[in-house]
Amino acid sequence: MPIRSLTGLIMGLALLFCCPAQAQDIEAGRKKAEACIACHGANGNSTNPQFPILAGQTARYTYLQLKDFQEGRRREPTMDPFVAKLSREDMLDLSAFFAAQRLRPPDFKVNEARARRGKAKAEETLCTMCHLGGFMGQNEIPRVAGQHYQYTVKQLKDFKAYRRTNDAGNMASVSKTLSERDIENLGHYLAGLR
Amino acid sequence: MKNLTHILPHFGALLGCLVFMSGAALAQEVKGAKPATTVAGVPKAINVSQEQLNKAAGDSTNWLHTNGDYAQTRYYPGKEINTGNVAKLRPTFVFQTEVLESMETAPIVVDGVMFLTTSFNHVHAIDAVTGKQFWHYKHKMGPVTTFCCGPNNRGVAISGGRLFMGTLDAKLLALDTKTGKLLWETQIADPEKGYSETMAPTVVDNKVLIGTNGGEYGVRGFVKAFDTASGKLLWTFYTIPEKGHEGVWAANDATGRNMKRDIAAEKKQFAKDSSFWQTLGGGVWMNPAVDLKSRSVIFVVGNPSPDLYGTERPGDNLYTNSMVAIDLDKGTYKWHSQYIAHDVWDLDAVSPVMLIDVKDKDGKMVPAAIHGGKTGHVYVHERATGKLIRFSEAMIPQENMWVLPTPQGARMLPGANGGVEWSPMAFNPETRLTYVLNLHQPMTYHVEAAKYPGGSKLWLGGAFKAIASEKQWGRLAAVNVDTGKVAWNYDTEQPLIGGALATAGGLVFFGEGNGNFNALDAKSGKRLWSFNCGAGANAMPVSYMVGKKQYIAMGCGGNTQLDFKRGNSMFVYALGD
Repeated sequence: MPIRSLTGLIMGLALLFCCPAQAQDIEAGRKKAEACIACHGANGNSTNPQFPILAGQTARYTYLQLKDFQEGRRREPTMDPFVAKLSREDMLDLSAFFAAQRLRPPDFKVNEARARRGKAKAEETLCTMCHLGGFMGQNEIPRVAGQHYQYTVKQLKDFKAYRRTNDAGNMASVSKTLSERDIENLGHYLAGLR
Repeated sequence: MKNLTHILPHFGALLGCLVFMSGAALAQEVKGAKPATTVAGVPKAINVSQEQLNKAAGDSTNWLHTNGDYAQTRYYPGKEINTGNVAKLRPTFVFQTEVLESMETAPIVVDGVMFLTTSFNHVHAIDAVTGKQFWHYKHKMGPVTTFCCGPNNRGVAISGGRLFMGTLDAKLLALDTKTGKLLWETQIADPEKGYSETMAPTVVDNKVLIGTNGGEYGVRGFVKAFDTASGKLLWTFYTIPEKGHEGVWAANDATGRNMKRDIAAEKKQFAKDSSFWQTLGGGVWMNPAVDLKSRSVIFVVGNPSPDLYGTERPGDNLYTNSMVAIDLDKGTYKWHSQYIAHDVWDLDAVSPVMLIDVKDKDGKMVPAAIHGGKTGHVYVHERATGKLIRFSEAMIPQENMWVLPTPQGARMLPGANGGVEWSPMAFNPETRLTYVLNLHQPMTYHVEAAKYPGGSKLWLGGAFKAIASEKQWGRLAAVNVDTGKVAWNYDTEQPLIGGALATAGGLVFFGEGNGNFNALDAKSGKRLWSFNCGAGANAMPVSYMVGKKQYIAMGCGGNTQLDFKRGNSMFVYALGD
C-alpha cells in the first residue's frame, strides 16, 4: 500500500480528515463513477460550478444523499435517471470512491474581504461544531471546504427557502438568519478553504 | 467562537498522497512503515483487584478510575507536589500519539504503567515515568459511525488484567493489559441509529457499566452492564421508560423558575401520540458514580431528542435532564430528580455525578450526590432519595431564563454548552469546595420543526448561534457544597471545557483552550503555576506516584466542540530540582 512511504504526521492529519468509510469497494466505485463524470468531472472534481465537487467528500454524506435522491427526500431532476437503478452496494461503492479522491480547488477568485466576513459569520453560527474545524466534515456532515462558490450559495439559499429539506431541519434553522450577503460571504470563505 | 485555529494549510498537498486509500484504512492507521502494533508488552503483570478499585480514594500510587474513585471526587491524596513547591513543576516527558484530534482522555495509571486513549479509539500503554511505549492498540473501526461533537474518547476502565473501552462504532472492547491484545468485543447498540461511545466505562464487581451518546440523533438512551469475562449483556436500564415518561407535567425547573410550557397543548398532543419514547434521546455521556454501600449506580441523563423542537415530544420527557439512581446488581430504577422538564434548550445534565457527604439544611452531615449543571448551578441531592438539598448560586451569568426558542432566535444565558459541559468537577474535603469548569458563551436559541430523520442525521430541531458582539470567557468556580455559595472564581479568556483535579497538596489543576495548564491554590484561587502545552489543554488531569515521586498527567489535544487548537500529546509533569 502507498501508505508505507508516508510519515506519521501525514497519517495523523489524515485521521482528522477522514471518516470511516462504508463497507465498500473503491475500485468498483471507480467504474460505477464513470456515469458521473459528465457533470461531476474526473474523480469527482467538477469544473462546472453548478455541480458539486464530490472528491474528498465524506462517504457517509454522499451515501445518504444518493439514498435521499432515490427515495425522493432530496429533489434534483437531473439526478433522477442516475440514481433510479442504484443498489445500496452501488451507493456505498460510489461514496467510498469519491471519499478517497483528492479535491482539486476550483478556479474561483475568492474576494478576501468577503471571505473574512464569511469567516466571522461562520464563527458566530457555530458551523464547526458540526462541520469540524477547517470544514472537513465528519460522518453524515459534509465537507464544504473548497466547494464551488455557486453551489454552496445555492444550497444555503435552498435550505433557507425550504427548497432543500433533507437536512432534518438543522440547515433550515442555520440559514434562516443569514442574509443573501452573508450567504455569499460564506461562499467566498468556504471556496477558499483547502 | 474566538481564536479559531487553522491547522490545515498544507492539507491539499497531503491529501494528494492519500488518493487511493479508503477512509476506513485511514481511520485505523497512524504510522507508516513503522510496525506500531508490534507488541513489546508491559514487562510485568498488571492486575487490579476489586479491593484496589474500592479503595482507590486513598491510593496515592495509582489512578484507577477516570474520576479517581467510585465517588468521582477527582481528589488525589498525595501531597509531594503542594502549594509550597508547585512553582518548580516541570514537564518530565511528552508522549505524542500522532492522532491530531480532540483529546479528552483521563489516563489510568497502575504500578507505573499508564493507559491512555485518543480520538478514533487508539489505546497506548506506556511507562508512566519515561514515556516509553509498551504497546499500541488500534481499533478496527466499523463502516458506520454516527456522532456529534468530535471523534473523542475519554479513556479506559481497568479490572483484573483487562482494560475496557467503548468505541465510536458503539462497541465495547476488552483488552489484555499486558499485551493490548483484544480479548472480546461486543456490539452495544446500532451505530446506524445514532449510537456511539465516547465515555470511559466504569467497572465494578465484574460488571462493565457504560451509557451512550446519541441525544442529537433520536436514540433511546441507556446504561448497560456487561460481564467483564465474557462481554455478555447482564442488564439494561433505559433512560426513557416506555410508560410514564410524561412525568408530572412540571411547570417549574428544579430551582423554581417557570419554564413557560403550554401544558394544555402538550397534553392534547400526548393524547394523540405518545409513541415517541423510542426516539426521545437521553444519552449518558460520562461515568456513573457507584455507591457500594447502597449498591446504587448514580448518573445524569442528557437532553431529549430533538434538542430544541419540543412540540412532538410532549411531557416531562423523563428521565432526560435528570439525576437517576439504579440498582447495581439488577439495573432497576431507584429514584430520579429532574432539573429541567421538557427541555428545549439542550441545557442538559452531562458532568459526572460526585458522591460526598454534605451538611443538610439542619447542619447535619448526610450522604449526598452532586452534579454541576449546564444551567450554571451545582445541585446537591440526598443520596438515598434524590431529593434536592440545595443548589448553588449561579456560577455564570443567567439571563432571560426560560425564554422559548424562536425561528429567528431568542437570546438566553447560559448558552447551550453551559455552564458546565461534560467537564468533571473535583472536590477537596478540607476546603469543602468543589471546583467547577464553566463556560460563558452568549447564544441565541432557534427552533425548527423537524421529523425524526431515521437515526442517520443530526436531529436538533433548530440551531444554536453565538452572538458575535458578546464576549465569551471561562470561569473555574469554587463552590462550598455545604452552603451553595461561591468562595472564589478564577476567570479565563476562553470558555472552559475539560476536567479538574484537586490534590491533598492544596492544589487545583485544570487546563484552558489556549494551552495553559494551571495549578491554583485550592483555598484562595490564586494561580501558583502554569505551563503552556502548545494546544488546547482540554482533557482530564490525573496524578500518581512511582517510587517516591509524584506525577501529574494531562492530555493536550484541543477540543472539537469549541474548536480549540488540536494537538496529539500526553504531558507528564514532576517537580524539578
